[in-house]
Amino acid sequence: MWVKVLAFAGFREILGREREVELEEAASVRDLLDALASTSPRFKETAFEPSGALRDYVLLMVNRKRIDPELDLARTLAEGDELAIFPPLAGG
Amino acid sequence: MIEITDEEISLDRMIQRARSNDAGAIVSFFGTVRDDGIEKMEVEAFRVAALEELEAIRDEAMSRFSLKAAEVAHRTGSLDVGEGIVAIVCSAAHRDEAFAGCRYIIDQLKSRAPFWKKEISGEGERWVEGV
Repeated sequence: MWVKVLAFAGFREILGREREVELEEAASVRDLLDALASTSPRFKETAFEPSGALRDYVLLMVNRKRIDPELDLARTLAEGDELAIFPPLAGG
Repeated sequence: MIEITDEEISLDRMIQRARSNDAGAIVSFFGTVRDDGIEKMEVEAFRVAALEELEAIRDEAMSRFSLKAAEVAHRTGSLDVGEGIVAIVCSAAHRDEAFAGCRYIIDQLKSRAPFWKKEISGEGERWVEGV
């Protein structure tokens, strides 16, 4: 299946604004992040601790709803889902 | 009206839209690019998600503070020192509600709306609170 990845701010500079990624059926958010890390060492270094845990400043949305990186990385994705990756917000 | 724009923000036009005969108070907040030794600021948005979040924040403020109108505009793109980044205008029957509504919207915008700022100076570039 194919899912869309949108990246913003520092993550856009690493991954590009938008890309499509092919994953196995029923892949999770974590699987998608691992797939991105496998194609971009810079993304891996920026987004993950050496232990493999996601860094605190990595924020995620699935289909424009925030998800909790502590609890929801095992969430299953579906064809056409959209994952947004960005650092802490700094508007206003 | 909720607006995310690459064009300069006109506070005057927002105030005109917020005026009404049953509103006795109009309060505005205008956030600008401060000179912290920077040359420019670049503002980026997750536009679709930011519009949804700003609409939700506006609706919350309208009902919590009995506002007559609430206008929100946020800039994107490349900004010079002194240019407006964000503008909020709230009208209400009385000043307390208008002040409270304006305060609520800017505080919620800062914590919930997906915008990012990059400062550009002679020494380089830096994402504010970012990676």
